Amino acid sequence: MKSDQRKNSWVASLRSQARQLSQIAMLVCVGALRARRPKGELLRQLYQVGNRSLLFVLVTLGFTGMVLVFQSCLQLSRVTGDLSQVGGEFIKYLVHEFGPSLTAMMLATRVGAGIAAEIGSMVVTEQVDALRMCGVEPVEYLLVPRFLATLMMTLLLAVFGVLSAVMMGAFTAHQTFHVPYSVFLDLSKVRLTDVLTGCVKALSYGAAIPIVSGFCGLSTHGGSEGVGWATTRAVVSSSFAVIVLDFLISALALLSWQSM
Amino acid sequence: MKKLHLDPSKPPVFDGISLRIAQGETCGLCGPGASGKSLLLKIICGLIRPEAGTVAVAGQDLGAASPSELRSIQSQIGYLFQNNALFDSMTVQENVAFPLRQRVRLGQEALDEPQILDRVSESLRGVGLATHAAKMPSQLSGGQRKRVALARAVVTRPPLLIYDEPTAGLDPVTTAKIYDLLRAEQKLTKSTTLIVSSDIDALRRFADRMLMVYRGTLCYDGPSADMDDSASPVVRQFVRGELEGPL
Repeated sequence: MKSDQRKNSWVASLRSQARQLSQIAMLVCVGALRARRPKGELLRQLYQVGNRSLLFVLVTLGFTGMVLVFQSCLQLSRVTGDLSQVGGEFIKYLVHEFGPSLTAMMLATRVGAGIAAEIGSMVVTEQVDALRMCGVEPVEYLLVPRFLATLMMTLLLAVFGVLSAVMMGAFTAHQTFHVPYSVFLDLSKVRLTDVLTGCVKALSYGAAIPIVSGFCGLSTHGGSEGVGWATTRAVVSSSFAVIVLDFLISALALLSWQSM
Repeated sequence: MKKLHLDPSKPPVFDGISLRIAQGETCGLCGPGASGKSLLLKIICGLIRPEAGTVAVAGQDLGAASPSELRSIQSQIGYLFQNNALFDSMTVQENVAFPLRQRVRLGQEALDEPQILDRVSESLRGVGLATHAAKMPSQLSGGQRKRVALARAVVTRPPLLIYDEPTAGLDPVTTAKIYDLLRAEQKLTKSTTLIVSSDIDALRRFADRMLMVYRGTLCYDGPSADMDDSASPVVRQFVRGELEGPL
């Protein structure tokens, strides 16, 4: 009996959260289409999301590219000894899968946590209520600039991240396995569909991270401990959203491009 | 308002509170800690919706209002929050100008930027902080932050002013200064004023009418002067600060 009640209340809470999340997503999308935005806020957010994450993304993707290429070359040299295909396959994989997804995971931790912490602390210090009392819709005022900035910057950072991983991978392959740069940097395997899939993924992640993190921030309660929980929840939920979207878009892309 | 539950497994926070505040009236709201005073203020200005019952401001039902109508009503209420709720990322001047700029954006006032800045300066002069306009809230003391929050609440000259613990944590001199400012504002604008404070003596001196909430109901609603002789032992004990009694 008690477990039934607990299950029902869990389902009701999940439903209510899903409804709130979809309401926030709708308000953000409608707000993004309107031109009314606080002056200079979009530029500030572009700087916060883009410039301040650039080094983090470049270093993370650069090192991951080095590790992946090293491991791939090591295994291939043991099995076939032919390393001429490593670069082409690596770049193809980076463009449609690895580049946007890893960039988004990095942004989910840095930007998602930042959004949730900032909005969460505004909630617990009643600043969000103060916005409402000034006739401002907090979702539109706080989330729309962050949404637009993350949307644009995820795509741009994914491009830089891919470039960093490719360059560091080429350097590793050349230094450790003597693969010539001209052989490694083989773009013939990258098709337009790979680029399109990568772009769709980057844009979807860029939309999901601020909405999910903003929702976590706006549902903060319970003082500074609540802000901590909201931040953790934002990172976990944004990362989860990225993984689910990655699977869905990959599956859709596979079905769409195969049928073409 | 009929009922309000914050936790469905617990009894309602408010149960059957009925209250009418006339235009231009000055009401003080008191009650023991955690009796829901701040919550009642948030319900009155539409930040929290009760499960059942009606809350109307200037004849407009907040429950039936659309989100944009609600925002429009809320922008006509000056609210001084318990924790000041100053925007951390803005200077003192930007904080005070914010509600004015929003009213301009909503088409409720036709002011240009120099006029807005004049009103902000006037408001900051009123609270004695004209020289602090460029500072950030984190650079101010607790009393100064409270005065900036007061300047922000009154800068639009709203018809309804709500003050939530305007003197909490302040020393007696700053408390007296804040009450002086509230009186001056009330005299100037003739706004309807609702004020919550734990400083019951100062509150009774300021307000014409006193309200007291206890266990989700309104246990006193009458003139400030008659509170000592109330028939309710709860009210008498609260006002006299006695240790023995039902509280």
